[in-house]
Amino acid sequence: MIKLKINNIEIQVENGTSVMKAAEKLGIHVPNMCWHNELEHFTSCMLCLVKDGSGRLFPSCSVQAAEGQEIITDDVEISEARKTALELLLSEHVGDCEAPCQIACPAHMNIPQMNRLIAAGKMTEALEVVKRDIALPAVLGHICPAPCEGACHRKTVDEPISICLLKRITGYEGTEPEIVKVQATGKKVAVIGSGPAGLAASYYLQIKGVQVTLFDKNEKPGGLLRTVIADELLPKEILDKEIEAILATGVQFKGNSEIDTVGFQQLKTDFDAVILATGVLPENSSFFGLKSTPKGIIADKDSYQTSDPKVFAVGNIIRSSRLAVRSVGQGKEVAFSVLQFFKGQQPTGEPRIFNSRFGKLVSAEFSEYLKESVPGKRVFPFKGGNSGFTTEEAIAEAKRCLHCDCRAIDNCKLREYSHQYNADQKRFKTSERRNITKQNNHNLVIFEPQKCIKCGICVRLSEKYGEKLGFTYIGRGFDVEINIPFNEALDKGITLVAEKVAAGCPTGAISIKDNLK
Amino acid sequence: MTDNFQNIDKIIAEKGSSKKSLIPVLQAIQDEYNYLPEEALRYLEEKTSITAAEIIGVASFYKQFRMHPVGKHIIKICVGTACHVKGATLVHDAFKRHFNLKETEDTDKNGNYTLEKVSCLGCCTLAPVVQVDGITYGHVAADQVDQVIADFESQQGKPKAKKYRHADGSEIKGEIRIGLGSCCVASGSDEIRKEVEKVAGENHLRVKLKHVGCVGMCHQVPLVEIVPNEGEPTLYAKVKPEDVKKIVETHFEPPTLLSKLKNKLFSFAEDIQTDRHWEGVERYEISMREKPVASFLGSQVPIATEYRGIINPVDINEYKTRGGFSALEKMFKLLSPDAVLNEIKNSGLRGRGGAGFPTGVKWELVKKEKSDLKYLICNGDEGDPGAFMDRMLLESYPYRVIEGIIIAAYATGIHEGYFYIRAEYPLAVKRIRKALEVCYENNYLGADILGSGFSLNLQVYEGAGAFVCGEETALIASIEGSRGFPHIRPPFPAQKGLWGQPTLVNNTETYAQVSYIIREGSEKFKNIGVEKNSGTKVFALAGKVARGGLIEVPMGITIRQVVEEIGGGIANGRKFKAVQIGGPSGGCIPAEYAETPINYESLTEMGAMMGSGGLVVLDDTDCMVDIARFFLSFTQDESCGKCTFCRVGTKRMLDILENITSGKGKPGDLEELERLAHWTKKGSLCGLGKTAPNPILSTLKYFRHEYEAHINGVCTTGKCTALITYSVNDKCIGCTLCAQKCPVDAIAFKPHEKHFIDTSLCIKCDACRAVCPEDAIDVK
Repeated sequence: MIKLKINNIEIQVENGTSVMKAAEKLGIHVPNMCWHNELEHFTSCMLCLVKDGSGRLFPSCSVQAAEGQEIITDDVEISEARKTALELLLSEHVGDCEAPCQIACPAHMNIPQMNRLIAAGKMTEALEVVKRDIALPAVLGHICPAPCEGACHRKTVDEPISICLLKRITGYEGTEPEIVKVQATGKKVAVIGSGPAGLAASYYLQIKGVQVTLFDKNEKPGGLLRTVIADELLPKEILDKEIEAILATGVQFKGNSEIDTVGFQQLKTDFDAVILATGVLPENSSFFGLKSTPKGIIADKDSYQTSDPKVFAVGNIIRSSRLAVRSVGQGKEVAFSVLQFFKGQQPTGEPRIFNSRFGKLVSAEFSEYLKESVPGKRVFPFKGGNSGFTTEEAIAEAKRCLHCDCRAIDNCKLREYSHQYNADQKRFKTSERRNITKQNNHNLVIFEPQKCIKCGICVRLSEKYGEKLGFTYIGRGFDVEINIPFNEALDKGITLVAEKVAAGCPTGAISIKDNLK
Repeated sequence: MTDNFQNIDKIIAEKGSSKKSLIPVLQAIQDEYNYLPEEALRYLEEKTSITAAEIIGVASFYKQFRMHPVGKHIIKICVGTACHVKGATLVHDAFKRHFNLKETEDTDKNGNYTLEKVSCLGCCTLAPVVQVDGITYGHVAADQVDQVIADFESQQGKPKAKKYRHADGSEIKGEIRIGLGSCCVASGSDEIRKEVEKVAGENHLRVKLKHVGCVGMCHQVPLVEIVPNEGEPTLYAKVKPEDVKKIVETHFEPPTLLSKLKNKLFSFAEDIQTDRHWEGVERYEISMREKPVASFLGSQVPIATEYRGIINPVDINEYKTRGGFSALEKMFKLLSPDAVLNEIKNSGLRGRGGAGFPTGVKWELVKKEKSDLKYLICNGDEGDPGAFMDRMLLESYPYRVIEGIIIAAYATGIHEGYFYIRAEYPLAVKRIRKALEVCYENNYLGADILGSGFSLNLQVYEGAGAFVCGEETALIASIEGSRGFPHIRPPFPAQKGLWGQPTLVNNTETYAQVSYIIREGSEKFKNIGVEKNSGTKVFALAGKVARGGLIEVPMGITIRQVVEEIGGGIANGRKFKAVQIGGPSGGCIPAEYAETPINYESLTEMGAMMGSGGLVVLDDTDCMVDIARFFLSFTQDESCGKCTFCRVGTKRMLDILENITSGKGKPGDLEELERLAHWTKKGSLCGLGKTAPNPILSTLKYFRHEYEAHINGVCTTGKCTALITYSVNDKCIGCTLCAQKCPVDAIAFKPHEKHFIDTSLCIKCDACRAVCPEDAIDVK
């Protein structure tokens, strides 16, 4: 047995235990990417660097615990080293985590997944995906200026995916998701203003077990959607239908109730939290006595909390944008903050996780991306501009989506650690990036070599399980690649370990093809 | 492929069919085809237990292996440090233009020539050097590419190209160096020069007359040094004009009558060449190697290079008559293994591979391991740009290295050993193979050596070319038939090395010092050098010194002594700026620290490193940012790619340096470069990555202002082509020479008029400036 100290805690481990495993015994997780529990240590990623008593950094996966060692697994220097290692890896990791459209969407909607479900003819499932982020799918499908389409990679190839119209059809064709009964929180929230922001906030709070009362100065809910937007642009029956679905979750709507400062103070005592979503207030407004600028109420940009901790503000009341999708998105996010507030946490808003991004597609990459798509220009509704897609048109259009989002989005060590260490992918953007390629001929897995960080797990697993060809290193140094020998195709190279290497890959370079996830 | 691969069956039968034979098998296949045809590799996979992944992984790792057919002839352009500072890049670019090659191409359309950049051909004083198959061309200028190719082709089909030839086909006998430092001139060296020219003229001798600066032996002036093509250079001190005839005739045989008549056709001016007015190409044999600097110059002490130039490398009797194997005999007669170990420990000998680990301690670690099977490896995997000590020792003193190895094996109880030598060093491989054979015949190797009861078997393993294999764990991986990936230490090779057995890995030069210690006693060895740094170190002295070559100096000698006393000071009247010591792992020490003694600690303290012993002298025309970029491009290219900091870190540092030297630097780059250098040093897995930032850190430390100037768009030395422009000034006399030389027609041919350079066409190859007789080309 070996006795050592890790972060000043004494521990005894068996002879031959690595420092990383010893730390694990104490419940201390040391980040690692090239380590795999079926394989010998390899010492490639260098993320598991720790420090010994002399201040020397060494990779803990490969060094055995030694008698009397005093190990530090985390301090400012170690974090800086790990962050630098991650930034170096990110500089050669060419790939998007979330698709550009999702990042561009003010409501951060999972557009690629919606597209894939539509392409599979699953309108109800698609609607369910949309409604995770957008409470008014068909409404926005009529009026959204679609910033997502501006960011669409397909735009570089030929024309962007018609995302907005696809979203619209989910609202028309999909069946509203069933309202799942959750346990009531016992909390009550007043939402003032039933425009897109107030409606969205009400919806996402109500389905989480918060009793929402939604006030509006008008008789009917909808705010500017009802009062300003022309019927030809947004048919009233669509608006009514989607508002109906929101109210059906249990939101109590109180029309004809204009809230003044006195009324507001009353609501603050009657409710556990108040969300202001009144729309633009006049410049001479008292802003309900909250801290403000002439442009609107001051609210935290992530949590939407105002100077009064139990009051939140979203939509045009904080800044006039006249962008319904932004208001809808803020409504969703403020619900998250309010729930945090109720749990006694510091409201932070929905967490935004690190995203790897590579910028625009270049022409050499078009054909690679099209491997997961279909050729052909954008589909236009047969009946003309504002009429919307038929189901067939929608399916055809949705198939044009390039699947830009990474399959390992929720299962990527590189992303997870980059987030944890606040890594900056642009730090080492010192020369041209590599061109993306995709190997898609395997029926189980897809291989995107430019996401690879050369940890060698797939090479070593191929060897261990006796693949005839398997993955190998080709070349050396910065230009080293992982690929199948003799330029053989992926399906020929990987016959035994496809699932294993996909599960073992720490960066989503090899991943299981399941298009509906 | 038309054959049935019977040849490959034969290779497998001869070399083996398991993974450990992979590299020798691939080398043999490449010998057959000139490259590794895919069909042949597939056949190999089918016929052996070696997997496709292993074959491709290994074949693509080592530089020696080519996956595509090459041209009939290989043009190796040396881009080692000495060649780099003398314009090798311009020469390489000129060859590319000559064959009309695109960025990624290396073989011309007709498949006749393949261009290859090599790290060092080992003839730094001829820099820039180009080797076409078996012929070496020295002092090649960018505008001589046509001549080199023409000359090479003129030699085809001839039985054996004469060595040391001039482009006109006559033979150059050697070099006569005359000191033209102020003391020499004052003492009458100009008289001597005239006399030499006269004697050479009378005898129709084709010798190269070289004027060298002060050699630091001012009390001995005037000096004449005769450097024949073969053998030891000789230096004559206090030469009088009447001595000259005898000196010259002693060294150079006058040509036969026939050739005398032929030579009459040429003017005298063409017969004697100096550095300044040289138009032809110089041709040498492939075995052309650096000549050692005369051993009595400065304070040199030959130990590893004892009797240099005197003994025939493979003649065992010559070695024996000069004390060879007497250490071995003494050891077997008088010393126990422990006593040998104590001698080595007491001598203070440290690893000459660069890191300076105490040799005795290393031996003791191996000795201590309880194992029936232990291995010994002689690390001869050099690959530094501008360092070739190991190669020279293996080529010139094979028996001395073997003797050292036998002593080491005896002390540590090892009976199996390997010489790891690069396949690119065919002469070293050949000589060691021959020497091993002779040693077996004479019972210096094999069972019961000299009746001592001790036995040792040694064999040669030809490395396939990867700088990282100088790192001992990578070297071991390579012998085992794997990619040269280093492994974390511990376990050290002493505990768990080759095939998992305790293994002693020492550098060639370390072994070469061992026999001296045993023969002369550790105390005597300890008296050479300084405390904690005993003995000598061999350096490849090159760059802007008057006299470059291999030197062996006692530890603790100062940089100034090396540059001035041995190297003869800076050539061409330029100013001494810095020395680069230790190659890609080392750093630059500026002239103001020339009093720094050369030992492991002091060099490290200065930000340099002993490294493997490259010592390149730089003058005021050298750009320090360019030097840093040069070394980084080497290490980046040689990184094995295993760990993040080295694989990506060296690449990003190189990116930043390339941006800076191409005018794309921006504020903040230097700080980022420094931070990244810091982390690469701290976080890399092996010595290659850990030392790769040294050239950057040391130049940033001493020459930061040069970096800052580049970021502001100025390269004061004009080395960074993106930051300079060529123009013609008013001194132009309209001689049209520049227009004739310009390879891209950027200068219009206008006799008697001032010429003009079209900067949109100019490729900054420097041909115009080099040819201009009036100094009318400005570089700004």
